[in-house]
Amino acid sequence: MITAHIMPLTILLPLVGAYLILLVGSKYRLFARNAALAITGATFAMVCYITYLVSSHGKMSYYLGGWAPPLGIELRADPITAFLLLTFASVSFFVVLFAYDILPGEIKGKVVTRYYALYLVLLGSLLGIVLSNDFFNIYVFLEISSIAAAALVAVNGDKLAMEASIKYLVMSTLGSGTVLMGIAGLYMVTGYLNLDFLAGALPQAYANYPLTVSMTLGMLTVGIAVKAALFPLHVWLPDAHGSAPTSSSAILSGLVVKVYIAVLLKLLYRVFPLDFLAAMPLQGSLLVMATLGIFIGSIMAIRQRDIKKMLAYSTVAQIGYVFLGIGLFSEKAMVGAIYHVFSHAVMKSMLFLSAGLLIKYSGKRTIEDLSGLGRIYPIPMVAFSVGALSMVGIPPLAGFMSKWYLGWGALEANQLPFLLVLLVSSLLNGFYYLPIVIGGFFKPAAVAIKEEKIPLGAQISLLVLIAATFFFGLFSNIPVNFLTPTVQGIFNAFGGGI
Amino acid sequence: MDNLFYAMVFIIFLTGFWIMLRQSNLIKKIIGMNIMESAIFLFLVAIGYVKEGSAPIAIDANPGLAYVNPLPSALILTGIVVSVSVTAFALGLTVRLYQHYGTMDVDEITRMRSEEL
Repeated sequence: MITAHIMPLTILLPLVGAYLILLVGSKYRLFARNAALAITGATFAMVCYITYLVSSHGKMSYYLGGWAPPLGIELRADPITAFLLLTFASVSFFVVLFAYDILPGEIKGKVVTRYYALYLVLLGSLLGIVLSNDFFNIYVFLEISSIAAAALVAVNGDKLAMEASIKYLVMSTLGSGTVLMGIAGLYMVTGYLNLDFLAGALPQAYANYPLTVSMTLGMLTVGIAVKAALFPLHVWLPDAHGSAPTSSSAILSGLVVKVYIAVLLKLLYRVFPLDFLAAMPLQGSLLVMATLGIFIGSIMAIRQRDIKKMLAYSTVAQIGYVFLGIGLFSEKAMVGAIYHVFSHAVMKSMLFLSAGLLIKYSGKRTIEDLSGLGRIYPIPMVAFSVGALSMVGIPPLAGFMSKWYLGWGALEANQLPFLLVLLVSSLLNGFYYLPIVIGGFFKPAAVAIKEEKIPLGAQISLLVLIAATFFFGLFSNIPVNFLTPTVQGIFNAFGGGI
Repeated sequence: MDNLFYAMVFIIFLTGFWIMLRQSNLIKKIIGMNIMESAIFLFLVAIGYVKEGSAPIAIDANPGLAYVNPLPSALILTGIVVSVSVTAFALGLTVRLYQHYGTMDVDEITRMRSEEL
């Protein structure tokens, strides 16, 4: 029974859990965090089971209410979606584990229950976006995720965060409005909302209405780019991610911007025919924007004095890598892009979490004030250093492997300049990450530091994330072998790429 | 002439888009958001319209009757719910910002914040 309905149950579990937490948690204070930990843990286990099913039986489909598409809504899991689901479920579980004892100290007491409820709603919507095979369903989950994400920024009620939150909300509504207009356009020319049926009907529709179909593609891409913070549409990101509470920043920067990339992947590789994409100015503009984003994000990060703002600008640059991998239209680059979604999720959440701890213990947010903390608090500083080195792309860490595949993809697509982009940007990453690492271990402390015991949950969570960064750098062949057949299938279907 | 409706929808959409980007008053931004979303709903209504179609109620006695496509209307219902909740949340944030800063102008808020630092 569970096996047959595993996909809708995985989405429903966090959503129902959120309501449960609100119902029970208002009376019992400690209930919320235990329940959130149990629910994210169970979601993680179910996602592992989905991955197992996908790896043993191939892709799975589920028709909601038993109605077959095009009438009904379809959920679909293939190796790529399973990999993204694992990324989302695992990182959000470890963020909750980290926050177990930290969160009550960071946000006001009575808000904690609501915080966990919002967190679970966000997780449910992320899983829903990845699993849906129906465009309107994707839109509904997109809106749920943008409201929940904006609320997670503003949850503490301080004025900086609320200002960032409304900017975020306005920009992401702009993005999802544009996406909905695009979806309506697709429905107009084909009469379908299911992705597979759309893909079947689009070539004919393009022959009949070339202008409408190109405009639709443009609106969908721009809408997704706003929400995923592709340069120059990233203006909302640094404030929102920089001023949110620690665990919100970790999940927003690590996961929420990535889910829109999952939508873009579905759109570009499953819906639109590749020869149509080649005729559009899409590839060129994606590559230019991605490159500009990588450089300008890194340069802005170098200029920041506030560590969380710096990490947020670094996300703008790292999103550029993912868009670069998608824009190269080659097999290895796409594997690299998907792999980078995962490795960046692990690294950036680890960086935000450890930075949150360091800020908590030093009481300061500026980079200079964090020096000397490594001797008193080795675990967060080591986690920060591993994340930083992985961002720079030092082997054998996970960040190196995603850059390796991106670089290989650039060679495969015969786009040598982008190999140079990768190398130069790694150097830029070093400019802003390494001073913190060196200062943290080798400089004397700049401010008086409270000596406190780091809560156990936070320690475990950081250690697991460190271990994952090493493991998926050394054994990158496991996920890559899992992903490659599907990616190959996509490109073979279109005659080996452009 | 048939495409006139779509052209109008597009103009309304861009109007809302422009208001959201260019107005610094938060209430005006939220109004712009609603104008933009109304344009999308109008677009969906227009897609579903069938000339001289009736309400989509299946009647066995008259199977040849043309009816309006019901799916876009169902989508709009969901869209309206989404739009209402986003509006409510945005208005709530605006109220709280007004309590803190005494203004609803984003540029003004940014200026006040930079003076505080």
